Amino acid sequence: MKNFAHYNARSVAEATHLLAAYEGKAKLNAGGSDLIGVLKDRILPDYPEAVINIKTIPGLNTIEENDGGINIGALTKLVDIINSPLIKKNCPVLKETARTVASPQIRNVATLGGNLCQDTRCWYYRYPDGIGGMIKCFRKGGKTCHAVPGENQYHAIMGAKKCFAVCPSDTAVALTALGAVLTVAGTKGTRTLPVEEFYTPLGNMLALDEMITSVNIPKPDPAAEQAFLKFTLRKPIDFAIVSVASVITLDQGICADARIILGAVAPTPVRAHKAEEYLKGKKLSDDTAAEAAMLATVGANPLSKNIYKLEIVKTLVKRVINSGSCLS
Amino acid sequence: MITDYRYIGKPTLRKDAFDIVTGKAKFISDLTVPGMLYGKILRSPLPHALIKSINTTEAKLLPGVKAVLTYKDVPDWKAGARPQHVRVLDSKVRYVGQAVALVAAETEKIAEEAIRLIKVEYEPLPAVYDVEEAMQPDAPLIYEQFNANVLPPESRAFGPRTLQEIVIGDVDKGLAEADFVVEGTCAYENIPNPLPPETPGVIASWEGADNLTVWSASQGPHMFKVTLQPLMGGINIRSIGSPVGASYGSKYMSWQFVMPAAALSKATGKPVKLCFKKSEHLAAFTVRLGSRIHGKVGMKKDGTVTFLSGDWLVNTGAFSECAQFMIAVGCGEAQLMLRCPNWSLKPKVICTNRTASGQVRGFGGQELKCALIPLLTMAMEKANIDPVNFFKKNYVKPGDGYYWRDGEWWVCQGTDYTRAIEKGAETFGWKEKWQGWLKPTAVDGARRRGVGVGVHGNADIGEDVSEAFVRLDGDGKAIIHCSLAEHGTGQRSNICKMVAEVLQLPLERVFFTPVDSLVNPVEIGPVGSRGTYAIGNAVIAAAEDAQRQLFEKMAPLFKVTPEDLETSEGMVYVKGKPGAKLPWSKGLHYYGACLGRGRFEPDFSKPNFMIVFSEVEVDVETGKVDLIRVVCATDVGQVIDPPSLTNQLNGCLGSGGIDSALFEETIIDKRLGRIMNANMIDYKWRTFAELPEMELVVLETPVAGHRFHAIGVGEIATAPGPSAVLMAVSNAIGVRLNDYPLTPDRILNALGKVNAAKRRGKQ
Repeated sequence: MKNFAHYNARSVAEATHLLAAYEGKAKLNAGGSDLIGVLKDRILPDYPEAVINIKTIPGLNTIEENDGGINIGALTKLVDIINSPLIKKNCPVLKETARTVASPQIRNVATLGGNLCQDTRCWYYRYPDGIGGMIKCFRKGGKTCHAVPGENQYHAIMGAKKCFAVCPSDTAVALTALGAVLTVAGTKGTRTLPVEEFYTPLGNMLALDEMITSVNIPKPDPAAEQAFLKFTLRKPIDFAIVSVASVITLDQGICADARIILGAVAPTPVRAHKAEEYLKGKKLSDDTAAEAAMLATVGANPLSKNIYKLEIVKTLVKRVINSGSCLS
Repeated sequence: MITDYRYIGKPTLRKDAFDIVTGKAKFISDLTVPGMLYGKILRSPLPHALIKSINTTEAKLLPGVKAVLTYKDVPDWKAGARPQHVRVLDSKVRYVGQAVALVAAETEKIAEEAIRLIKVEYEPLPAVYDVEEAMQPDAPLIYEQFNANVLPPESRAFGPRTLQEIVIGDVDKGLAEADFVVEGTCAYENIPNPLPPETPGVIASWEGADNLTVWSASQGPHMFKVTLQPLMGGINIRSIGSPVGASYGSKYMSWQFVMPAAALSKATGKPVKLCFKKSEHLAAFTVRLGSRIHGKVGMKKDGTVTFLSGDWLVNTGAFSECAQFMIAVGCGEAQLMLRCPNWSLKPKVICTNRTASGQVRGFGGQELKCALIPLLTMAMEKANIDPVNFFKKNYVKPGDGYYWRDGEWWVCQGTDYTRAIEKGAETFGWKEKWQGWLKPTAVDGARRRGVGVGVHGNADIGEDVSEAFVRLDGDGKAIIHCSLAEHGTGQRSNICKMVAEVLQLPLERVFFTPVDSLVNPVEIGPVGSRGTYAIGNAVIAAAEDAQRQLFEKMAPLFKVTPEDLETSEGMVYVKGKPGAKLPWSKGLHYYGACLGRGRFEPDFSKPNFMIVFSEVEVDVETGKVDLIRVVCATDVGQVIDPPSLTNQLNGCLGSGGIDSALFEETIIDKRLGRIMNANMIDYKWRTFAELPEMELVVLETPVAGHRFHAIGVGEIATAPGPSAVLMAVSNAIGVRLNDYPLTPDRILNALGKVNAAKRRGKQ
């Protein structure tokens, strides 16, 4: 690693003003489970001049119930989300999702804000500088995405144009299903932003001086069935090859409302709108689940080595609808 | 025969256990030497290129930098299996990650920054990755001296008749006798990394004109005297070993990290430490050989194989570390598995532009078998033969012969493993689970179970010479002088048990000299499962010799002959007279130690054996394969240390073993020549959180030639696994699979669920 300035921010204002002062050449650090690897492997063309520790900001690690729903501070550790009775009762899909992230050691330090803001795992993007130099790609200001003609088995099958890296965050998939809204602070004040609108093809909507301070989850319908399935080669550690989160409200066996979100298939979590629309008003059965699964892949445009992900998407969508719940 | 041993066969505390678990053990990365510098390697970005220019001016000016070396100023040392063809640094690079320049600096950080200041211009050359493409006339030539990128056969490694192919009998005759003939291509080319937890590391210290001291995490440190000294101009090497954070065979040759550190030390006059990062370990160190067979097999209705012929194409990557040596052993091992009168299996070792292949446990045999067994199963399927019966019928039996690595015909004088096969099958429940070829054991919705089985064995438990001394001191202690490295298995501790048993000494009073070539006689190292039999025999002989000297010294004190004496707890007794006793000190005093000498001569007549049964569950809607249960069965003659043996057999998981059938693989982008998964998230390795159910069946049929009737099996646990899993998955999904790994994309593809027509727009 190279030298950098290090700050312990005592407030959100201090952190955002430091971000502004460094004009994009500073990185926020909470749990560090993503950033340290990025720095050690020197995957980025520009090394940050400063690292701003935000763990020292008080008050951003609480889970509270309020009128609007459940509020989770951005510095809340994944382990605390998993152990929270409030989360378990109201948003089991988030608990289940957090539980699938990495390993216990990482969940003990990794934060919700960090999980949402982590950088992509694309192996071209992450290629270590020490083995012949980092790979310049579209995401780093280059001209091409090497995954398109290359090893793209884990890459995007839909919604990508110039960079085919996928959004690695598991919690983003569950929070999108729950309709969660982020509170974002910058030097000019705070704003809110639905998780669904947070991601962009090359990253996220945060301005240079902004950070997530909290996540607000509108209280789900107690009758809604929540589910999350994550497909990986290994149970622990791995990032999703495909994941699916669902929140489905049934009224006497008929689907009243459905939110089905696909993860690791695109640069952003993807709402399977066609599948959601199809399910509304239908009685859930193997056939409707299969049809919804098929509709979830409409518009997909896979690469040379990742067509198989379509089949996994279909299977997981079918299974979240059939299993109905992650409490089982 | 004595079977009521004091230590042998009983679990004892590993002598280094507390040091390891309390962090006291000094691994190579913990060691420092006064005045030591740190080395770093600049690595090639291109798979094949000529270096047009290197500018090191800026790097040399960085404060703290002591040396920057390029191909222009390193010593002309050459390594690689013969003829030697790999220079420490060269004007041509042949794989991404190859060393281009070396830096030594006062700190690791300075060395790393200096590397970034070196400017290199390359002239890119076309690269080739596939063995058959590499042999085409228009393929890029990786070494000028190797026509069509094919390496010459080895003619010296294991003597003048070194085995380089299997040609026996008359294939045409076998063809005429066969009831079934099958032909096909099977391959094991996912080049898994053995991936010991500790990365390769060394400290090299050049002293005077031609003395080099090397501290290293090598599996066979003493071998540097044999292999490296001649390659480095006949200098004198003192090789000191550190505890090895596992090796799985891969840290044996070791010149890939020793030579660069030695060159830097020679240039600076200071000790230089060079420890690889994990990414270097994964992307620029050696992996398994790639193995592909185009073959033909003839079989009779009863499972008798009438002939086997074919081309064995071996992909060794950018150079041969010792590929031709591995072929010799692989060809020997194939014959142990198959009693076949007519062979024509012709290997070719081929260079390609990826990180090189090298020594890994299984040593050619695993790579061969993972392609050969699937080929044989094609014939078994046609003949409708149960694979367990096939292996039972065909595994080498006492009295059978085989050509071993030295090209000599050896006759098996070891164990008949029929009982181990039967006991393993019974424990696994093979009869109940086996439903026939390409038939699942059970179906539950999308989940299908399947079973498979594989075998392996080698005749290397008695390979090569071992020498050892055992010293008895007057204070009632025994010291073993032997350069056996502790490579993670507990073998040093277990050798102490053998000496404690011979001398009837408390285990705490048996000591081992440090691994140091200056102190100890020659030791090839714990390879080929030779620790128990070859090294054990040398050390036991030394202990017996020391005891004989002790009794000769002390017999006059009792006025008896040496044969009348026995010893225990550092006391000498007259047999049958418990009252007549004297401590060793009365014979040895403080100045008269006995030094016993032991030697083991090579013997390839005792094959060992491992059969692995596996049960998998395949989700046919996602393509996911789960390994549910594994049963390993073997016969070891006599267990030395039950926990060590259990660990070795459980080691069939990891180290490029059974999971190389499922997900352990090195993924190369063939446009860039780069290894994409050089990190521990993308390189899939089973974690402790999802181990399958494991059962071990260990028989103990006494073996002649060893005081405790024991043979080794440590190395061979990995090799039968991949083909067993391949068979299990094929049976589960009802589709024959002939190569690895069985990742979800390949399973769904085999099931016809990946429709290429769905791919639109992108290529």
